[in-house]
Amino acid sequence: MRWAISVDHKKLALMYIGAGLCFFLVAGLEAAFMRLQLARAENDVIDPETFNQLFTMHGTTMVFLVGMPILLGFGNYLIPLMVGARDMAFPRLNAFGFWLFIFGGLLLYFSYLGADGLYGAGTAPDVGWFAYAPLTSRTFSRGNSTDYWILGIMVSGFGSMTTAINFIATILCMRCPGMTLMRMPMIGWMMLVVAFLVLVAIPILTGAQVMLLLDRTLGAHFFDPETQGSAILWQHLFWFFGHPEVYILILPAFGFVSEIMPTFSRKVLFGYPLMVAATVGIGFISLGVWAHHMFVVGLGPVLDSFFGATTFLISVPTGIKIFNWLGTMWGGRLHFTTPMLFVTGFVAMFVIGGLTGIMLATVPLTWQLSDSYFVVGHFHYVLFGGTVFGIFGAIFYWFPKATGRMLDERLGKWTFWLLFIGFTLTFMPMHVSGALGMPRRIYTYEADRGWEIWNLISSIGVPVQMAGVAIFLWNAIKSLRSGPVAGDDPWDAWTLEWSTTSPPPEWNFDRIPTCTSARPLWDRKNPEDPDAYYE
Amino acid sequence: MTERAEQRDERAALAPREVREMPYLRAIPRPTPWPIITAFGVTFMFAAIVTNIFVVVVGAAFALVGVIGWFREVFPHENVEAIPVADCETPLPPPEFAPRPEKTKRNVVPERIHPYRSGVKGAIAGAIAMAVVAVGWGLFDAGSLWLPVNLLAGTVLPSIGEATEAQLMAFNGTWFATSVGLHVSLSLAVGMVFVVSLPMMPRRPLLAGGLIAPVIWTGIAWATLRIVNPTLEDYISWPWFLGSQVAFGLACGFVISRATMVPLKVGWSLEQRMGVERSEGGEP
Amino acid sequence: MTTLPANQDAGVRLRSPLSRAKVGMACLIFMESAIFSAFLVTYLYYIGKSPDGPQPLECLELDLVLINSACLISSSFTVVIAVRALARGAMGAFRFWLALTILLGLEFLVGTGYEWWGLIEDKGLTLQSNAFGTNFYSLVGLHAFHVIVGMLILVIVLILSMFGCIRPDRDHQRVDIATWYWHFVDVVWILVFTLVYIVGRVPQGAPAS
Repeated sequence: MRWAISVDHKKLALMYIGAGLCFFLVAGLEAAFMRLQLARAENDVIDPETFNQLFTMHGTTMVFLVGMPILLGFGNYLIPLMVGARDMAFPRLNAFGFWLFIFGGLLLYFSYLGADGLYGAGTAPDVGWFAYAPLTSRTFSRGNSTDYWILGIMVSGFGSMTTAINFIATILCMRCPGMTLMRMPMIGWMMLVVAFLVLVAIPILTGAQVMLLLDRTLGAHFFDPETQGSAILWQHLFWFFGHPEVYILILPAFGFVSEIMPTFSRKVLFGYPLMVAATVGIGFISLGVWAHHMFVVGLGPVLDSFFGATTFLISVPTGIKIFNWLGTMWGGRLHFTTPMLFVTGFVAMFVIGGLTGIMLATVPLTWQLSDSYFVVGHFHYVLFGGTVFGIFGAIFYWFPKATGRMLDERLGKWTFWLLFIGFTLTFMPMHVSGALGMPRRIYTYEADRGWEIWNLISSIGVPVQMAGVAIFLWNAIKSLRSGPVAGDDPWDAWTLEWSTTSPPPEWNFDRIPTCTSARPLWDRKNPEDPDAYYE
Repeated sequence: MTERAEQRDERAALAPREVREMPYLRAIPRPTPWPIITAFGVTFMFAAIVTNIFVVVVGAAFALVGVIGWFREVFPHENVEAIPVADCETPLPPPEFAPRPEKTKRNVVPERIHPYRSGVKGAIAGAIAMAVVAVGWGLFDAGSLWLPVNLLAGTVLPSIGEATEAQLMAFNGTWFATSVGLHVSLSLAVGMVFVVSLPMMPRRPLLAGGLIAPVIWTGIAWATLRIVNPTLEDYISWPWFLGSQVAFGLACGFVISRATMVPLKVGWSLEQRMGVERSEGGEP
Repeated sequence: MTTLPANQDAGVRLRSPLSRAKVGMACLIFMESAIFSAFLVTYLYYIGKSPDGPQPLECLELDLVLINSACLISSSFTVVIAVRALARGAMGAFRFWLALTILLGLEFLVGTGYEWWGLIEDKGLTLQSNAFGTNFYSLVGLHAFHVIVGMLILVIVLILSMFGCIRPDRDHQRVDIATWYWHFVDVVWILVFTLVYIVGRVPQGAPAS
């Protein structure tokens, strides 16, 4: 009850992250069932209808109910602590946004019980996470499972938007004395750009969903080609949301890396101003790349070339970040603790995902590989190897701050290596099976196509990852009860959240700190050689 | 000491620090149920579309009550809880710093880099070397000076894929301009990559830039070109291709590594950057 | 021990020049603009692509909507006068101009309702009739919904001031920020009006049948 009525940003953040992890387990189970079905050719563990629901719910859950809430949760926890504020700008709005997300997620999952779809009551949405028209028209999607998809996402989207408003107001108005924008921790910049993208992109999705809802309930003619509507328009609107969304999911993870990597390299973040410029650049360019999801639609050579070019362009600021992280590690005294392992894994995996992304920006290549398992492999490298690894790194890094206790390092390393190996086993072969022509979203395949061995390897990776996650959960429960006491600053870090107690009091800081450089805590610990001289 | 007692001690250590005297008050927002009630109501209002239209009444009632309660929470004054704390509200003053030390503990690498100018110079040198090799291939092996030029333009102009062989051998103004523009901009980009990455190469930067990178790049191109641009692949001669890449890498890397390295300005004070003051250890 | 130049600016600036209420309202307006842009772009996309059924040229007449627009636009000025009055502490003038603003907004809503009634009854244009109908009602309807929300805000302010809960010194900034929303609704109407009644009144191409 104390948690339900709390408006404390730290409690809300922990609830965000906890709820996101619960949804993560659910979405992981959905994925595991899919891999079970695909492990052998012509398998019949799961029927086709259920399979459609599984990939729809897996994608929707991972994007809207796992990725966004966990990242927004970290933003919630860290922004006030890192900029030296007592709370978010609008604490009650913060609680409102969180509960909208929870209720939206529950509404979406209630469809498993309540929705009457094509196959009777209890039918989850089965139109894919990007819900292409005309699959979503009343002709092809009977009942109201698609309406559940629309409403669940819309409600939790309202929550994300209120949180984004909160982030911007907090970052712009609540920084402690002396903390100029260019002294703000990198994660602050990342979250500022993320909040901006949320405010641009999510309303577009909401608008498109309102139109779809009008189509489905009141007989409007937006997206159904049978009645003068345009299916392409849905794709444009959806991907205008969808591509910034990808950056909403990856930028906070960039922020985690930019905080964790300097700490364990014992070096300043390399090229901070360039990093800021790259982040802002990504924010703007990401609004102009959406149609690279639509190369096979037939937009014509001019548009295809344009969006291909912008996609190449966005890899430049992303590449700058990679080099900056390498520059941060280079010559540093590296401590490979679990968080550092995860962010190093992040960089490696993200580079692979980024490179396949550049391959897919090439229009002729996409004509061959679009909607194949190659694409599935690509975006899992970015979103799992990227975002989820970043999230695990962040959990291991800030767990001591949030709970006051350290996570077990030995179990943590087990988690990392199991996840890393399982991840590679599952998703690396997808590039091969995709290049061999295996389309995504098929519930089974014939035996003689040469896909079996790659699918089998992919499926074998799943239990390995599950073991990693199980060890992590065990580690978290055990450490919560009896982990070693962390103290205020277990990692000898330099940002302000480590200057208060672990866990921080409800008012965060006994006295609001004063910021003298980009590493305020370094200055406080090393007054004989402060950063302030070098800025 | 038993394990349980140990845990209790640890918990005590985790509790917020006890301070004996707490003369100051800290205002924090009072916990309130109205946001969750409002959120619940809003969700129900939307859920009415998929359940029963009367659900909207329930939802609206909850939302209305929630909004009114919420409004009373912030108007006319924010409802806060006062918590006694030990410290006053003024910000913690910054620590007093010692004078700037001679040698900093900060670990700054790389200390010295090649100037960006040299990247441009290297790019020009590399571009010329590459063009010489490519033209050489056109003249001696393929039979036309213009073939390499037109093929390069073909990487961005899809129409060239349909051109006849005679057209490919002949001079075309648009293609030539495209090709030159492409060559110059790509050379500059690669030159900048070289100038940034060469100091990070562990040993023998010339070897890495001049040989290893071109070989890797040629390998990637060889493996993917048949998918990306089959026309180009029909005409290309891989030994010459590799040769032109190596020519670029060697020329560019040579020019860059000949340039005098300059110290990186990270960690400089404002005065040093502006050239007003020079610290003893910084400038060579 | 020496003090740094870095310390000097550090201690001074205790409060950010931006107020969080202003930033929050600006963000809200930014977000709403994004929603509107989705609908505006969709409307633009469908101009001239709705060959069957009632056409914009024959359905939309300018006389009534011009009166409505005049009312809505002028309400933006009256609300500014109201806020100025509040800043001066002239509560009577404040209430008068605020009530006038609400009345002008109400006229807009009633006028729009009347126009819709005519369109449905006489011209047979509904949400379902064709792509034009779909887009017209959703775009104008979305805007009308925002007018209602904006009016609710103003009505609440008016009621509060009737009960003496609005104090000029304490609240005029808050009221000012609340009226930003009303200005936003007006600006959006200019865009909607331009798109629907000026750009959109073009022949829709040949009928399909």
